[in-house]
Amino acid sequence: MKTSRRKFLNIALGTSFFGWIVSVIYPIFTYLKPPKIPEAVVNSIKAGTASDFPANSGKIVKFGRVPVLVIKTVEGNFRAFAGTCTHLDCIVQYRDDLKQIWCACHNGLYDLRGINVSGPPPRPLEEFAVDVQNDEIFITKKLS
Amino acid sequence: MKSFLIIIWIIAAMLMLISTRSAAQDKNPVFETDDCIICHIQIEMMPADFHQNDIHLQEGLSCAGCHGGDPSTDDPELAMDRERGFVGVPSRQETPEFCGKCHSSIEVMRKFRPRIATDQVEQYFTSIHGQKLKQGDKKVAECVACHTAHSIMSANDGRASTHPLNVPGTCKTCHSDPEYMKEYDIPTDQFENFTVSVHGTALLDNKDTGSPACNDCHGNHGATPPGLESVSHICGTCHANNLNYFSSSPMEKAFREMEIHACEQCHGYHEVIPTSDEMISVGEKSVCTTCHSEGDVGYTAAVEIHKDLTDFVQKYNEAEKKLQEIKKKGMDDVDILFALQEANQTLIHTRTLVHTFDPLQVEEKAEEGKEKAIEAINLARQEIEDFYIRRYGFGFATIFITIFVVALYFKVRSLD
Repeated sequence: MKTSRRKFLNIALGTSFFGWIVSVIYPIFTYLKPPKIPEAVVNSIKAGTASDFPANSGKIVKFGRVPVLVIKTVEGNFRAFAGTCTHLDCIVQYRDDLKQIWCACHNGLYDLRGINVSGPPPRPLEEFAVDVQNDEIFITKKLS
Repeated sequence: MKSFLIIIWIIAAMLMLISTRSAAQDKNPVFETDDCIICHIQIEMMPADFHQNDIHLQEGLSCAGCHGGDPSTDDPELAMDRERGFVGVPSRQETPEFCGKCHSSIEVMRKFRPRIATDQVEQYFTSIHGQKLKQGDKKVAECVACHTAHSIMSANDGRASTHPLNVPGTCKTCHSDPEYMKEYDIPTDQFENFTVSVHGTALLDNKDTGSPACNDCHGNHGATPPGLESVSHICGTCHANNLNYFSSSPMEKAFREMEIHACEQCHGYHEVIPTSDEMISVGEKSVCTTCHSEGDVGYTAAVEIHKDLTDFVQKYNEAEKKLQEIKKKGMDDVDILFALQEANQTLIHTRTLVHTFDPLQVEEKAEEGKEKAIEAINLARQEIEDFYIRRYGFGFATIFITIFVVALYFKVRSLD
C-alpha cells in the first residue's frame, strides 16, 4: 500500500515536472520563433526591387493595415499614394492607357500627383514618399 | 504706486486701440465709404436677402456695381440719377443680360475670377428656363432665382444656394410647388423622390458632395432634361463600367428597339433605390421578370446570375464574420483584412458585371471572389487555432505546475 502510494507520488512528480519543463521551454521556443503579430505603427516598408517594376504600371502593396498604390511612371519615376479612393474607400488602380489613377467604383480620376481631377472623389489621395536605394523601393509615410 | 497705475492705464488704452483697429480693419470699407449702403442702412431699406458676405460685396462691388448710380453722394436724387448711370432693379426678362454685362465679359471677369467661365448667359438661353424666359414666361428661373440677388456666394461656400448640398433645396423652391408649377406639364415630386434615393441619401444625409445633385444630371446654366438617348450617358459619367458592360451587351439593342430607357427602366431616376442582388433574380424584387418569363433565356440567366452572386455573398459574409471574431480575440487580422478587401473589390466587380447579362462572365468573377473569401476564412481559422493553442497551453501549464508543487510537497514530507 505504502509502495503504491510512493509510486503514484513519483509518477505525479515526474509527469508534472515534465509538464513544468515544457511550459517553461515552450514560451522560450516561441519567443525565439515568435508568432505573427501586427505592427502597431508602420512608418516605412520595402515595396520590391525597382528594376523588376515595369514602367507605366502600378501595384498595390501593404503598408501596415492600409493598401498603398505604387506607380512607376513612363519616365521611370516612382510615386506612392494611399490605395483607397477618397470617395467611398474602393481600391484605386493605375490606368496605363490614361496614365492616371482610376477608381472603378464611380469613375473617379486622380492625376499622378494624387489630385482628384474628375468624378466624385472629394479630396486628393494621401501621398507617400518613395526612395530607391540599391535598387530597393522604400515607401515612407510623409510627415504632415 | 501712482506710476504703476499710469503704466497699467497706458497698456489698457493701447490694447483697446489695437482691438478697435482690428475690428475696423475686419469690417468691409464699403460700409463706411459707400453712401448707398450708409443711407439704406439708416432708413432701414436694405434688401431682405442682403448678406454682408455676398461675393460681390467682398470683392468691393457695392450697390452701384450692379444698379449703377453714384455712391459718392448722400443726396438720393443725385445718387439715383439716370444720368449718373443708375439703372435700378432689372425685370426678370432683363436679369440674364444684366448679370451678363460682367459675367459674359472675359476682360471684366479676369480682374475678379480669372478662371470662371463666361458663357453662363449663352448656356442659359439654351436651357428650358432660358427659352421660356425669351418667350415671355415671367415665372421661370433666371440668375437670381437660383443664386439669390444679394447673398450670392461661391458654389464652394457651404452657405451658397448653389453649393452641392443646397442645390436640391434651391431647385425644390419652384419644382416642388404644385401651385407654382401647375401650368407646366411636369411632376412636382422630384425632390421627394430624390431624398429617398441612394443619391439623395448620400448627398443630403451623409453630406457626400461626390453624390450627384440636380445639376449634375440636368446641367447648371444650360439646364435641360436629359433625353432618351442621353440618360445612360449621364449615369455612365460615374457608373462608367456599368455603362460599358451594358452597351456591349445584347440587351442594349433590345432596349433601344423597344424604346426602353437604359438605366432608369431597372433603377428609376430621381428615386434610384439602393441596388440589391434580389433585383437580378426571379423573386418578388426582380426587375428581370418585368419582361422575362419562365423558360426564356433571360429568365434562366437571371436565375444563374442570382445564384452565383448569393453564393459569393454568403462566403464573403462568412469571411467578414470570421474577421470580426479575430478582431474580438485580439489576433493578427492584417492578412485577413487584405484578403477580404480584395474579395470586396471582386464583389463590386461581379455586381457590375451583372450589366453584361452574361452568366458565364459573372460566374467566373464570382468564383475568383469566392476563392479570396475562402482564403480569408482559412487565414482566420489558423488564427483561431493559434488562439486556442495559447489558451489551452496556458491552462495545461497551470495544472501541471499545481500538480508539481503539490506532489513535491508530499515528496518532501515523505522523505522527512
